[in-house]
Amino acid sequence: MKMTMKSKHRVIVLAAAGILGLALPRPVSAEVSDADFNALKAAVQQLSEQVQSLKQTNQLVEQVHEQDVQQLQQLQDKLAETQQIATNTEQKVIEAAQTQPIPRPPLDEATVNHNFMMLGDAEFQYDKVAGQHGGFVMADFAPIFLYRAGDNILFEAGFDTTLQNSAPNSSGYTTSFNVSFAQIDYVLNDYLTICAGDILLPLGTYTERGAGWLNKIPDDPLAIDALLPGSGVGAELRGAVALGDAGKYINYSVWGVNGPSSADGTANGGALDLGGNVGVTSDGTTANLHGNPSGGARLGLFVPFYHPHYDVELGVSGQSGEWDNAGQYLWSAGVLDAALHLGPNFEAKGEYIVTQYGSGDLGVNTQQGWWMQAAYKLAGLNLELPAINNLELVGRYDGLLHTYDGNNNAFDFKTQRYTVGMIYYLTNTLLLEGDYEFLHSNDPSQTDQLLLQLSLGF
Amino acid sequence: MNKIKNLKAPATFATLIVIAMLGSRGANLYSAEPTTGTPPANPPATNAVVASTPATDVVAKPAPKGPLTGAELYSINCNRCHQERYPTERTGAQWRTIMLHMQVRANIPVSQSRLILQYLQENSGR
Repeated sequence: MKMTMKSKHRVIVLAAAGILGLALPRPVSAEVSDADFNALKAAVQQLSEQVQSLKQTNQLVEQVHEQDVQQLQQLQDKLAETQQIATNTEQKVIEAAQTQPIPRPPLDEATVNHNFMMLGDAEFQYDKVAGQHGGFVMADFAPIFLYRAGDNILFEAGFDTTLQNSAPNSSGYTTSFNVSFAQIDYVLNDYLTICAGDILLPLGTYTERGAGWLNKIPDDPLAIDALLPGSGVGAELRGAVALGDAGKYINYSVWGVNGPSSADGTANGGALDLGGNVGVTSDGTTANLHGNPSGGARLGLFVPFYHPHYDVELGVSGQSGEWDNAGQYLWSAGVLDAALHLGPNFEAKGEYIVTQYGSGDLGVNTQQGWWMQAAYKLAGLNLELPAINNLELVGRYDGLLHTYDGNNNAFDFKTQRYTVGMIYYLTNTLLLEGDYEFLHSNDPSQTDQLLLQLSLGF
Repeated sequence: MNKIKNLKAPATFATLIVIAMLGSRGANLYSAEPTTGTPPANPPATNAVVASTPATDVVAKPAPKGPLTGAELYSINCNRCHQERYPTERTGAQWRTIMLHMQVRANIPVSQSRLILQYLQENSGR
């Protein structure tokens, strides 16, 4: 219990009075000497000083006490404030956690070393050939399977699965399943990639870039199917070298494949089989039907200019090798290809193809084929009309000279074809294509036709 | 006679190219000149219509003098053969596989392929 200021003062006064009472002589006593008086006076004065000192000490103690009380109050206030801040922060954290989106997965996901995936395309086609019934003629599913093992090894294989009506020879339908290509790619360094397997042959660019949804017209140019093998079993070296840092480059391909063969083993002109020389033969012998493989190469140049989307690509390619079983005759092909882009909306491209092969019955046969195609996206007109903006107009002119006529056993077919059409882009990967083809040919199998196709790239 | 016919094809080809070039130049007069540099990081998804492909429109500017970026190389190379695919359509790992496939198929330089892949991964769906 603490004494207050007043009570302390009273105690001091009483103590002083008591001391005085004891020290003072009684009135009835004898007289006080000067010495006693002075001694008493000095004692009183000393007591008075002590009292004064005690008063000052007490004041100091009280001041310190008050300061302590104030500090205690301040600490209590700060504690309350800190507790409030902690409570608010906790509440904010809870609220933030409730409203935050799901965090992105770690970047490791983007660097996984192995990956398997499927790309490809699917087509559904309606065809109306002049003089025949129109019909839904094709449902095509063409997946490409990719397996990447690390940074520089890739296995890729493309398939074509199509429906075929078995009539009029039998009932029902059949499903064809073909391997378009199946190859292992090994990127040896920045300038050389080794490919092996059933490889797409870069005779021109169409074969490698002509999948259903890539081609702006549903069917292939005549010369592509009639004059060139699409793929071959063998090996290829390819690569590209950048020329400066403005996007320009040259690329090359060199390959060796089994090459074309004879369908019946003879060297007759009509027996040329462009794509059949693959795999093990039906009698169990090894694949290549003739003694030596064919060799081929392509050299290309790509030059962007002026603006992005303004570019030109030029290429020259060829292949040569024996084709008959006896290895007496050569089949050779030369292709010039060109592509031009003038802005994001205009494209023109084409190829010129010459093939030549010797035969036992028809001598040396030189065949020619060509195709040129131009397309323009109406979005370039800036009409701000969605239906128009999604349209692309396409035109193609292609032809063939001196293809084989089985009825006459001669190379006397000549065909020219003019195609006009359009593409409506439902999305960037879903295309509705419509084309009409005008044929001029002495080949009775070549007639006008209307083609409609729904294509999906995935 | 056959020789004359043989010459018709190349001549027609050349004529068509010239007409197309002239036509394109004319049409280009009505094109809006884009102003910004790189494609957007998150363009519309797959169902966007091709005619208004944002990356295509945005990137079409005069070729810079410095080295091309991954976005610019992507814009130059990737819609020459097919419609533009948006970075957000695939994950980073998928783009890695696709770019290896396209590097081989389109036979583009590895140095350019790396820059394109970097752009695609940085703007990928995940």
